[in-house]
Amino acid sequence: MQPITLTLQKRDGTQWLEKLLSLGEVIAPVHGSGEDVIFSTPACADAVLWDFVNPLHPPKRIVLPQTDPLVKIKHNGQGHEVEPIYDDAPRILFNARSCDAKGIAFLTRMHEMEPADESYLRRALRLTVISLACTAPCPLGFCVCTNSGPFLSDGYDVQLTDLGENYLVEVASQKGHATVSCAPNLFRPATESEIAQRKRLEAEAKNHFGEETCHFASAMRRVSTGRVSDALWQRISDWCLECGACNFVCPTCYCFSVKDLGRNGGWVRCRMWDSCQYSAFTLEASGHNPRPERKERMKRRFFHKVSAQYYQRDAMVGCVGCGRCIKACLGTTSMPAVVSAIRKGKWNE
Amino acid sequence: MLSVSTTCPFCACGCGLYLLAEPRELAGVAPSETHPVSSGRLCARGWGAHEAALWGNRVKKPLINKHGTLEPTSWEDALDCVARRMTGLIKAGKPIGVLGSARATNEENYLVCKLARAGLHTNNVDSCFNRLCAPLLAGLEDVCGENVPSACIDDIERSQAILLTEGDLARTHPRAASSVLKAVEGGARLITLGYLRTQMARIASLHLETAPGNEGEVIDRLLAAVLNLRLDDPTWVAQHCNGLDELRRAIGSTRLTDEASQAAEWLARAERAVILMAPPIGHPNQARRDAAALATVAALTGHLEKPGSGLLPLLPRSNARGACDMGVTQGYLPGHQPICDPPAQQRLRDLWGQQLASADGLDAESLLKSVSGLIVLADDPPSVLPIGQRAMAALAKIEFLAVLDSFDTSTSRMAHAVLPIACFAETEGTITNMEGRVQETHAATVPPGEARPGWQVLAGLCARFGVGVSYNSAGDVLNEIGLAAPQYARREQRMPDKVWGGQAVQGLNGRKYNLRAAGVASLPTDDRPTLLVRDEVFDWGSDPLISYSPTLSRDSQSQRKLFPKGFVEIGKPYADELGIPVGRQVRLTSVTGQAVLPIRLRPGLKSGVLVVPFAFRDHVAQVLGTDGVTAVRLEQA
Repeated sequence: MQPITLTLQKRDGTQWLEKLLSLGEVIAPVHGSGEDVIFSTPACADAVLWDFVNPLHPPKRIVLPQTDPLVKIKHNGQGHEVEPIYDDAPRILFNARSCDAKGIAFLTRMHEMEPADESYLRRALRLTVISLACTAPCPLGFCVCTNSGPFLSDGYDVQLTDLGENYLVEVASQKGHATVSCAPNLFRPATESEIAQRKRLEAEAKNHFGEETCHFASAMRRVSTGRVSDALWQRISDWCLECGACNFVCPTCYCFSVKDLGRNGGWVRCRMWDSCQYSAFTLEASGHNPRPERKERMKRRFFHKVSAQYYQRDAMVGCVGCGRCIKACLGTTSMPAVVSAIRKGKWNE
Repeated sequence: MLSVSTTCPFCACGCGLYLLAEPRELAGVAPSETHPVSSGRLCARGWGAHEAALWGNRVKKPLINKHGTLEPTSWEDALDCVARRMTGLIKAGKPIGVLGSARATNEENYLVCKLARAGLHTNNVDSCFNRLCAPLLAGLEDVCGENVPSACIDDIERSQAILLTEGDLARTHPRAASSVLKAVEGGARLITLGYLRTQMARIASLHLETAPGNEGEVIDRLLAAVLNLRLDDPTWVAQHCNGLDELRRAIGSTRLTDEASQAAEWLARAERAVILMAPPIGHPNQARRDAAALATVAALTGHLEKPGSGLLPLLPRSNARGACDMGVTQGYLPGHQPICDPPAQQRLRDLWGQQLASADGLDAESLLKSVSGLIVLADDPPSVLPIGQRAMAALAKIEFLAVLDSFDTSTSRMAHAVLPIACFAETEGTITNMEGRVQETHAATVPPGEARPGWQVLAGLCARFGVGVSYNSAGDVLNEIGLAAPQYARREQRMPDKVWGGQAVQGLNGRKYNLRAAGVASLPTDDRPTLLVRDEVFDWGSDPLISYSPTLSRDSQSQRKLFPKGFVEIGKPYADELGIPVGRQVRLTSVTGQAVLPIRLRPGLKSGVLVVPFAFRDHVAQVLGTDGVTAVRLEQA
C-alpha cells in the first residue's frame, strides 16, 4: 500500500487506544513500581504513557519471549508425537520507541532467513508496531550512530510524532492501516505544514543527543581484520561480571538454548534466552568448552555485533543505539565502552 | 502479560525485579530500573530467577511416610501427624529441634521461631547459614554494641576507598561487585585482602595477600598502621573508643609494612570509605576476632560515623539477615534479643501466651546430630553445612523428620512428613537484605498442586501446639513481628522509601567503640608445608533455586559429571615448583586422614595453598577434619 500521513488530535489519543484495545492485546509503556516504566498490558487506555524515557526492558519479548514454547511432545506408547505450538494472537505494540521498532525489524529479518523460523514469524507477522518518534533523544541513547532513530524511515507500521497539539500519524503498512481505519473519524489527512514540522523536529532532535556515542566504522575495521589484541580482551574481561544483561536488554540479541519442560504427562520444548557471555553457553556435552575464558566470549560477542561479515549479512551493526546496556551492565563493558576500547586499543588507561 | 514487582531470591543484595507471567505460568524476568538497590542491574541469577519455579521438581501434595515410602495424604492428616509425632517425642523426653532458613521469608522464619520456642518449648532453633553469619555479626557487635551494617550497597559506588575482605565478591554478591567496579572505574582505591587473586583483586589498587585462615595477621598489620596514623589525635580516640591500651598491647609487636601503611592512609584520608566484610574462613572464634578487628579499622578511621561510609557484612543468602532478626538463631529471640533477657522474655510471653523455653539451644550442626525430632523449613542441610554427607547420615538417624519445602531435596526425600509450600514466586512476604532493608516479595503465579503459603502451614502447626495464631495474610504475621522485634515495628513510618520497603541502615553516631585486634592463628607444620582450604564461597550449584534452573545449573552440573570424585585446585607456580602433573590424581595427607583425587589449575592461587571447592568438600572430609583449613602433605598418587 501507499504510505499515508494523517493527523490525530492529542485529546483523541485515549479514544483511539480504546478502539485498539478491542482489536487485540496491546502492549505499551505503563507505570510499574516506584518510578519504573515498563512495557506491559495496560489496564485501560488512560494507563498508557505518552511522555516517558524508554523502559530498560525492551519489548522484544513480545516476539521473542524469554521462555518460548515451541512444540508439545507426547509419548504415545510406540514413539513420540510432536505438535508445533504457534502463537497467532494479534498484538499491537503501542508507543514503542524508534530503536525498539528497528530492533524488531532486525529480528524479523534474521528469523526470515532460510531456514525461516515459523514459530517466530507467526507471532511477529501478527504484531503491529506503532512507534512514537523521539523528539527529545533519551539521555543514554546514540541511535543516530546506528541509523535507528530518533525518527524512522522504515521498520514501523505506524509512526507517531508529537507535534504539540496533534500527533502526526505516518501509516506504512496494511497492518498499520487497520489500526487507523477502525476509528476513521479520529483522523484527518496531515497538512503540508504538519509534515514540514515533523521534518524540522527530526532535524532538531539530532542536535540534542547526549554524550554517548559509538564509532562503529573504525571498530569494525579493527575487529574484522583481527587487530584487537588478546591482551586487550583480557583487560576488558576483568570488568565484566557475566550477568548477560547486555544480551537480554539488547533489542537485537536473539541467542537461545532449548530445554524441555514437563507438563501434563508430556513435555513442552522451550526456546529460552541465553547469553553468549555465560561460560556454559558453548559448553558441549563432552564437557569441552571451545570458549572457556571470558575474554574469548567477549571477543566473539563484539565480532558478532560489529564485524564487517555480519554487517554485510544484516545491513546494520547488531546495535540500535538504545543505550540500555550502559544502564543494565553490572560491569563497565557496555557497547559504547567496548567499541571505544577497540577503536583506541586501550581500556581504562 | 503480567509483570509483578518482587525481590530477587538469591544473594543478600536484595535486587528488585519483575516476574513476568503469561496466564498461570512464569515466562521471564525484567529488571526494575528505579529500585534503590539494583537500579536496573541484575546478575545472571536474577535474570534466571523464574526458572527454578518453572522447572523445579516441586512437591505438590502433603506426603507422609507409610510403610517406608512417602505417600500423598490430606493437609489435615499431614499436620496432625507432625503434631502427634513431635508431641510423642517431647513426652518421651527426647530432644527436638527446628531449622529455619535463609531462603524463607521473615514471616515463615518468625513463625518457625514461635513454633519452636513457644509451641515445642525448645531453643534448638537455628539455620544452616548461621555458621557463616554469626561470627561476622558477633564481631561487629563486639566493637559497635550492635550488629547492624553502617553502609549500604549504594554507598560503595560513591566511596573514595574500599576495603574488601575477599571471598569472591564477583560470584557471591554480583550487585555489590558491580558497585565496586564502577567506583574503581571512577578512581576509587580498592584494597582487597585474601588468599586468592580473584577478579576483584586483579582490578584492585592494592592486594593484601594472606595465608588462608590467618587473615588476622594482615588485618592486625592494617590495624597497626591505622592506629599509627590515628595517634596524632589522641583526644579523638579517647572520646570515641574504649580499650586503646589493650589494643596497643595486642598489636604491639606487629610489624608495620609499606603495603599496610599505604592501605591505612587511603582509608583514613578518604572522605567516604566502605569496608566490605565477607564471612571469614577458619575457626568461628578466629572469624569473630577478624570481623571485630575490621570493625575496629572502620571505627579508628572514623568511617562508622560518617554518612555514606561504613561497614557492610556480606551475608551469604537472600534472607540470612531476616532469619537472624526473626530469632532463628539459637541464642537470640526475635529482634536480636538474648534468650536470657528478662524484658524480652516477658514481652514474648505476653505476645505468644506461652512460657518460653529457658535451656540453651544447639546450633544447626549439633542439633542435626543430636535431636530425635526435627522440623526443617526450606533447607537442605547436607548441601549447605560443611559436614556435607555426614549431615545425611545424621538425618537418617532422626526418628521423626518433617520438611516444609517448595522443592524436592535430599532432605525432603528422607522426611517422614513433607509439607509442600509456595516458592518465592508464589507467596507474599518480606525478606531483609544484608543492608537491613525489609523488602516485599509478591506472588506472580499460583503454587502447584495443593502447596500452600509457608506462613499458613506454620500457623496450622503453631495452632496444633496451642500457640495462638489468627492471621488472614502474611501482612498480619508481619504486624505481629513488629510487636516481637522492635526493629520491625512501625516499619512503614520509619521507611522513607515506601514503595520499595525501607532503608534500615542507621548511623552509629555518638557511641563508643570497643577496639579489638584479630590475633594470629596457628601456621602449618614443617612436614606438611601445604595448606588445604575449603572454599567457603557458597556452592550455589546445590541450591534448589540453581540446581533446578536449566540455564544457571549448567556449569555446576557439568563439573559434577566430569569429576565424580571431585578435585582440588593448585596455582600454576606451585604445581611447577613441586613437579605435580596437573590433571592427575594426588594424595593429600593430614593428621586426620588422607584422600586421593584429581588436581586442577586455578588461576591466582598462591604457592603453598590448595583449594577444594565447597561442592567437593565431602571428598576430602577425612583430610580436613572439622576445620576449614588444614596442613597437608601433597604427593602424586
